[in-house]
Amino acid sequence: MMKRFLMLGGIFVGALVQLSLPPWPIFGGIKPPVLASFALYYALHRSPRGMWIAVFWAALLHDGLDLGGFGPALIGFPVIGVLAHRVRLEIFIDGTVTQMFFGAVGAMLLTFLTLLIYSASGQRPFHFGHALLRLVGSGLLGMVTLPLVSLTMNTLENILPKKRGYGWQ
Amino acid sequence: MVLGNRKLIYASIAALLLIVAFVIPPSLSLKGKGAVRGIMAPAERSTSGLGQRLSEAASAIRGMGGAVEKNRELSHELVRVQAELSQLRDADADNQRLRRAFKFQHQQSRTLIPCDVISRSIGGWWNTVRVGKGKADGIRENHAVISPDGLVGKTIEVAKHTSEVLLVCDPACRISARIKDSDTYGLVRGGGINLRGHPIARMDFIDKDTEVLVGDEVVTSGLSGGEGLSPKGVHIGYIVKVHKDNSGLFQSAEIAPSATVSLLDYLFVVSADGEKVP
Repeated sequence: MMKRFLMLGGIFVGALVQLSLPPWPIFGGIKPPVLASFALYYALHRSPRGMWIAVFWAALLHDGLDLGGFGPALIGFPVIGVLAHRVRLEIFIDGTVTQMFFGAVGAMLLTFLTLLIYSASGQRPFHFGHALLRLVGSGLLGMVTLPLVSLTMNTLENILPKKRGYGWQ
Repeated sequence: MVLGNRKLIYASIAALLLIVAFVIPPSLSLKGKGAVRGIMAPAERSTSGLGQRLSEAASAIRGMGGAVEKNRELSHELVRVQAELSQLRDADADNQRLRRAFKFQHQQSRTLIPCDVISRSIGGWWNTVRVGKGKADGIRENHAVISPDGLVGKTIEVAKHTSEVLLVCDPACRISARIKDSDTYGLVRGGGINLRGHPIARMDFIDKDTEVLVGDEVVTSGLSGGEGLSPKGVHIGYIVKVHKDNSGLFQSAEIAPSATVSLLDYLFVVSADGEKVP
């Protein structure tokens, strides 16, 4: 239960952090994908139920706080969550390089889906150069953000009191 | 069987999400967003307040001390005086016309609602800021938003206690404008943020025969739709580049919007009805 509270609180604080961070013009104006990194972290570390709770809570906050219709995160987060969850048993999930790879791929996939949704619905104009810059920029930012989020959440979860399931412990 | 069920569940979830993304009407979507923003607003205010205090503390440590507060007060006063001056100019122009025509025209009064910026766009896809006042404070959609540097943008997606402000530099923002010196009209639309982080805008549909110079001031024309949008004569920015197309009917110009986003921590929403808002 404590871990569930930590998950919801962490995503809430993650949303605030993402809101506070400035957009980086050199990466196409994209912000570090903190909420997407939380969704990925819980997809890699939790059971399907835990993953879905994290993914929906993060997506709801992301789309609720952004302009335009619900959609980009509500579709994108489950996609990257399900894909990451499917391969989590076949990889070393706490390896830094693995997380950098997943962070980059997840953020790029999310940016691609967002581009598709915004272009299809006519909410944002499409410029190839700008789109490419955003894809590359989001990949680089995701590469940095997911390891940081993982490190923070692993540290916080280790601080939590451990559940002692055996009488002799 | 289990695999089939799982596929069905995934397909149902995908269908549901697509419906949410593309079918739900904007009014319903806005209600959902209002609820999320309502939950987040107090935390956003605290975070923003903390950031401002830290910034002011840093300024105080640098030796400016009381000048920070004084500067803030003077900036507030400056905006009020500028708005008043703009209204007086309008009144003067009206007066001249009335003298000629012997007619009286009712002049609409406007009130400025001061708002704190509590956060910015979460994804970076939109050029927006969120202010900590909404419908409960008298703000409606499509109202002009100004700062001491000029026009910031317009309100869009107004919830009960928060409002999104679409900045002048966003591609979705379009405002009727006028080049002050040559009295030529055009349409200003956002061009996003360039690689140096500077907001850019573009003025289109400028009369081809008018001489437009770099450095000319662009102001609002007061012709934009919506009852509170764009009062006349509010500064938008200066022309930095002119594009002439000999084969076209119009010319266009690049503008540097003066109300740069990074400097804002408070701004004013123009209330159309002139009512006193608490």
